Amino acid sequence: MSVEKGTLEIRNLSKSYVVDNNQLQILKNINITFPSGAFVSILGSSGCGKTTLLRIMLGLEKQYEGDALIDGEKIKGPGSNRGIVFQDHRLLPWLTVGENVAFGLDKLNRKEKKLLVDDHLKLVGLSGFENAYPSNLSGGMAQRVAIARALANKPEILLLDEPLGALDALTRMYMQKELERLWEFEKITMIMVTHDVEEAIYLSDKIVIMSSRPGVIKKVIDIPSARPRDRASSEFMHIKAEILKEFHLGTEYPFAYAI
Amino acid sequence: MNISKRTKSVLGSILLPVVLIILWQYIFSAGYIASAILPSPHQVIKTFIIHFTENEYSFHIISSLKRVLSGFFIGIVSGFLFGLFIGLSRTAEKIFSPSFNAVRQISIIGWIPLIVMWFGVNEFPRIIIIAAAAFYPIALNTFAGVRNVPREYVELASVYGYNRLKLITRIILPSALPSIATGITLALGMSWAMLMAAELFIPTNIGIGTRIQIGREKFNMALILVGIITVGSLGFAMTSIVEIIAHAADRGRILRKEI
Repeated sequence: MSVEKGTLEIRNLSKSYVVDNNQLQILKNINITFPSGAFVSILGSSGCGKTTLLRIMLGLEKQYEGDALIDGEKIKGPGSNRGIVFQDHRLLPWLTVGENVAFGLDKLNRKEKKLLVDDHLKLVGLSGFENAYPSNLSGGMAQRVAIARALANKPEILLLDEPLGALDALTRMYMQKELERLWEFEKITMIMVTHDVEEAIYLSDKIVIMSSRPGVIKKVIDIPSARPRDRASSEFMHIKAEILKEFHLGTEYPFAYAI
Repeated sequence: MNISKRTKSVLGSILLPVVLIILWQYIFSAGYIASAILPSPHQVIKTFIIHFTENEYSFHIISSLKRVLSGFFIGIVSGFLFGLFIGLSRTAEKIFSPSFNAVRQISIIGWIPLIVMWFGVNEFPRIIIIAAAAFYPIALNTFAGVRNVPREYVELASVYGYNRLKLITRIILPSALPSIATGITLALGMSWAMLMAAELFIPTNIGIGTRIQIGREKFNMALILVGIITVGSLGFAMTSIVEIIAHAADRGRILRKEI
């Protein structure tokens, strides 16, 4: 079977833990295809197993039933075809920004490394910061470095675990634009776990809505709107209302029909 | 005023000794205490100069320094390796940690009779007890540093396919550095403290401790004070050197939490 590079498939995946002799189901019968080059968000409240699902895709979690496939091959462990950006930037404080970006580039020689580091720092708008230490950076800048580190490895798929969750509201919106720009530039598959509805709508081609206990897929919404998206447009609002309804947070606006 | 931070900290550290010396001179001049009990600062300085020029005081200092440094280095190297070993291996911790914690409750001075019976009255047992005194703090702090490496960093290393050796050298040791540095500083203090015990309880003619002992026998308070001040100054100087080295090794300023 031939598949386009950067395709990730989850088939009939279930996972449960045993806590005090009780079976605790985390994920139940998950089926999703992440098409090559798409931006897909997994949206859900905390405890729905979305981070567990991401850890399975990353290869850190290996105990589950069903299949997780990349380009048709079973995921056996972490690999350089997948990059990850965590919610905490997870930069090592004793390494400079440049050394942090080069964290996964051990196989290359010094010159190749420098080239990739410079390229990716430029890409995230942090040229000239290679000798700074993470403690000198703001939250948004640190997260950009983390993104540069993940991209420097040239992954086919970038996994994003609530990457903007720790940032303030304005920085967050700005970084969403940046993520979109990077996605369009790199043309790779991006899979983002988030609990921010607007963020998911702004960035995604497809939103997978999950619900908790056990974690199941409740609904998959395709978003065909043109980019960049206007957060204030009626279409955006309409999708938002549709998603919020899934979380039982929908509001009825009787006047909307009167206008 | 434009006084640099460094000058300020140096001035701050000598302020208290200077005040104490002035107070000391005042007490002496006012005639509150007999000079046989507390000699004047002037007398102490005179004794110091005489002993340096005529009585080979520097020879005693060098001998004591050699003792301290030998014991200190043996102690920190073995303590570091032991701490690293029980920090990395849960099995090793289970086997060694309880006995280690029991043994370290016994004052090292309590071991001196036994050590002397085994090895005789010579340089070896003196160095051994100094090494033992340095061993505990470095072992405990290395262990704590290794155990407190954030799980997130270890996870990051496994995402990037780091093997065990790379995990230790690139993640665990740099992350444990502040704790190890604290252990080294404490070990140095313990070495100096144990030097006095080594020279007083395992009789010898050479060393600063023996000079203090002779001062006591001859009721020469100035000589005792010369010994005490010498040990204090050397201990302070060596601690400062260790701190400078630790700060130089501490890239990314984990130790220096500057305000």
